[in-house]
Amino acid sequence: MSKEFDDLKKFQRRLFLLGLGKGLFTTLLVGKLYYLQIVNKSKFGELSEINRIKIKVIYPQRGIIFDQNKNKIAENRNDYQIILLKDKKDQMNKIVTDLRKIILISEEDVKDFKKNSSRNSLDDYLTIKKNLSWDELEIFSHFSHRFPLLDINKKKVRSYKDNYAYSHVIGYVGYDSQKKSKKRQLPELKVGKTGIEKIYNKVLIGKEGWQKVESNSSGKVVRNLNSKNSISGNNIEVNIDSKIQEFSFDKLRDKAGSIILMNCNSGAIIAMVSSPSFDINEFSYGVKNSTWRSLQSDPLNPLLNRTISGLYSPGSTFKLVVGMAILERKDFDIKHKYFCSGKQPLGNHTFHCWKRKGHGYVDLNKAIKESCDCYFYSLANTLGINELASVAKNFSIGMKTNIDLPGESKGIMPDENWKKRNKGDSWHLGETYNAVIGQGFTLSTPLQIATMTARIATGKKIIPRILSDKKKIEFEQLNFPKKSFEIIKKSMFDVVNKYNGTAFSSKLKNNAIQMAGKTGTSQVRRISLLERESGVLENKELPYKLRDHSIFTGFAPYEKPEYVISVIVEHHGSGSKVAAPMARDILDFTFKKKS
Amino acid sequence: MSEFFFKFKNLHWTLIFLICSLSSVGIIMIFSATKSDGLGFTYSQILKFLFGFFIMLSVGLININFWQKYSFIFYLVGVIILIYATFYGYIGKGSRRWINVLGINIQPSEIMKIFLILALAKFFDEKKIDNFRDYLFLVFPITLIFIPFFIVLNQPDLGTSLILLFIGTVVFFIVGINIKFFFSCLAGFFLLSPIFWNSLHLYQKQRLLTFFDPYKDPLGTGYHIIQSQIAIGSGGFLGKGWLKGTQSHLDFLPEKKTDFIFSMLGEEFGFLGTISVIGLFILICCVGYIISIANEKIFFSKIIGVAIITNFFIAGALNMAMVMGLTPVVGIPLPLVSFGGSSMITYFFGFGLILSTDLSQKLYREDNLNLTNLSFFR
Repeated sequence: MSKEFDDLKKFQRRLFLLGLGKGLFTTLLVGKLYYLQIVNKSKFGELSEINRIKIKVIYPQRGIIFDQNKNKIAENRNDYQIILLKDKKDQMNKIVTDLRKIILISEEDVKDFKKNSSRNSLDDYLTIKKNLSWDELEIFSHFSHRFPLLDINKKKVRSYKDNYAYSHVIGYVGYDSQKKSKKRQLPELKVGKTGIEKIYNKVLIGKEGWQKVESNSSGKVVRNLNSKNSISGNNIEVNIDSKIQEFSFDKLRDKAGSIILMNCNSGAIIAMVSSPSFDINEFSYGVKNSTWRSLQSDPLNPLLNRTISGLYSPGSTFKLVVGMAILERKDFDIKHKYFCSGKQPLGNHTFHCWKRKGHGYVDLNKAIKESCDCYFYSLANTLGINELASVAKNFSIGMKTNIDLPGESKGIMPDENWKKRNKGDSWHLGETYNAVIGQGFTLSTPLQIATMTARIATGKKIIPRILSDKKKIEFEQLNFPKKSFEIIKKSMFDVVNKYNGTAFSSKLKNNAIQMAGKTGTSQVRRISLLERESGVLENKELPYKLRDHSIFTGFAPYEKPEYVISVIVEHHGSGSKVAAPMARDILDFTFKKKS
Repeated sequence: MSEFFFKFKNLHWTLIFLICSLSSVGIIMIFSATKSDGLGFTYSQILKFLFGFFIMLSVGLININFWQKYSFIFYLVGVIILIYATFYGYIGKGSRRWINVLGINIQPSEIMKIFLILALAKFFDEKKIDNFRDYLFLVFPITLIFIPFFIVLNQPDLGTSLILLFIGTVVFFIVGINIKFFFSCLAGFFLLSPIFWNSLHLYQKQRLLTFFDPYKDPLGTGYHIIQSQIAIGSGGFLGKGWLKGTQSHLDFLPEKKTDFIFSMLGEEFGFLGTISVIGLFILICCVGYIISIANEKIFFSKIIGVAIITNFFIAGALNMAMVMGLTPVVGIPLPLVSFGGSSMITYFFGFGLILSTDLSQKLYREDNLNLTNLSFFR
């Protein structure tokens, strides 16, 4: 009995130990539960919300760009895209393999997806394929039950009125590719990269919205939770006239060059064409790498907006500025005649007039009308380069015009300091000889030449403007005698309307309206050297390459200036032959349209 | 007939009430877990509960001597079915462990736990206690444990086989085997563990490895544990409310009606709910202990009482520990709560045995006191 009693005691002791073990285990469980449910409640609660709630970003619609007649030149179209929940990105390879059985998924699509998937994005969805065609959309909808993880998303993307005519001035949109993009929250947001799209990006871009959805573990949306609508960008109206823009672009077809038509009183840019151009709608779809590379390596540099970034010697058009400068001299006699023999020696170098035989006796008026170089060489002896430069700056040569477009070039208006700084040498008189006929170091953009013409035509400090503000801007008066403007303008009138004028053959066909202007010829070699980027030097056709650029700038009507037109056609000889008739046609078209 | 009613009246109704309470928690949770699939699973669970309840009462009303007498026979039948299941059973959850009897799927390894307890209890009850320190004498009971252990391990079902081993050890422990024996076993285990490890299947190794760092591979094997912890943790103190658990209803929680039902409980009923369920477990264990200690009559009854309760407790505790990330995912359902027939019926069968020991004790006591003069099968 006592043995049995001992064993019973032992049994109970062991039972107690077992119970103790269970008690410890239970304490451990309760402790862990306390840790999970009480201590870390908020952390796990948040994690469960992240599991449950997915955010789909609603990208804003870009503002519409209207021309001055309320025609849409840049609007938006629907783009259908296939999207995938970001949590499921590791299944991408399998999905792409399956999708490729029914629709085309390019390597670039896959590359974009991978790039975006590593980014820290606000959007819980990633785009697999953009620009679904109707056929692809239909095929995908038909097979969508096989792709439970995929969804169709409708997005608004940029669409332009014309593929080529507006490319440079409107610019294009693309993904923000700056270094900070690692932090970027909206991988599919497109921003303006060039032109109007860039400078007015803040106005056009709008504000994104979002849609919160509840999704289950396989990414299927169970129900929509709250949402915030996106705010479309503001529409803007620009001074461009689409008819004139397209007409002008047509004039430059198959040529390299630029055309600017400006209202010389308000500075409003009515047409701004740079040729050759590129397809902006293709850029909006997402330009292919091959296309991008061929555009970049094209010797004619289609991506360059020649109107504001192309640099040319102003050629004889610069003589207008020299004229303004010499008229500042109190002792200058406007009637004084100089004998042009066709050449002008200076030291052991001889400078030539474009007319080998010479112009005979010329005064200022005749010198501008017939573009006599020797007359201006003679002025170079009295006019210093610094004096010339300070006058030129009033006419925006070597100065930014401050147009509302990004990437404007400043150009070069040389003076003594400039030479010392950039060439490490002092100024020579021979360089002034070059400068007075608009050659040598001087470089200007087509827009600067147009602005110069507008300022001469109005006597005011006109600033060109793309955006139509609707309010009338008063420009300040230029500090030159009114008489000087009249003298120069009269000479410009004679260029077009007097026999022997260099642009006499380009009188407007509309007899009621008279145009005044100045032709110019820009020596190619200088441009070629200084404008290496355009690749002009590498052009295979040597004769084409060596031809001069043809320049014409003018305004009309003569009595009451309204429009300024500037045309540059690359490698097409003298201004009178190509640029001036083109300017005439565009002005004729403009006046016909306005009447 | 009055004898039947007398016995019926003297069943341990407190224990029965606690068991029913825990089972109803299971039914409530299964309703929530399978809401989207209709009421089929809930009805099925209710039917299984009713069937199990019937088995429990029937077993409870049978005299304990009947079970003691045929213990080895049950054990033998169990092993034969187990072998049959291993060779001819069909595969579920990656192992060959199911057999089909009259259209019902049965997992024989579950019932085997009870048969093992019965056989061991019978062995230790009949041997004289002074032999307990004789190691050679232990060869027989050790063989009793290892036969089902290896069969189940080869099915392969790591969780159940480890529980079989554990139950055997518990029986050894409570009958008073010298502590040194357990230490030498432990040492032997560590020496043999490399061989054991090599015999594991790849997915079992992976589960064990994942346990040590679940966040290393969040979408692979660790995914279940993380989602389960999120479910439990996000429940907070009061829970998200019945049918309102997002982790479970949006399918982030795997196996929510079986192995991970406790996580769902934690999500929908919070700390309050989980603590209550643990409380029920503890109460059932305490009642089982009291019955076992109070039993003066037979050593057999004491052993099966403690072993069955320990089996019940350890399955519950391991399941909870598993879903909280305290132990590896080994696929043990939560007793009486998880969806599934075999384990439920096994537990009801076990509780029936405890009820039987309790009833036998009460009747024995009354016999001794000569208050009644009833005869029951003896």
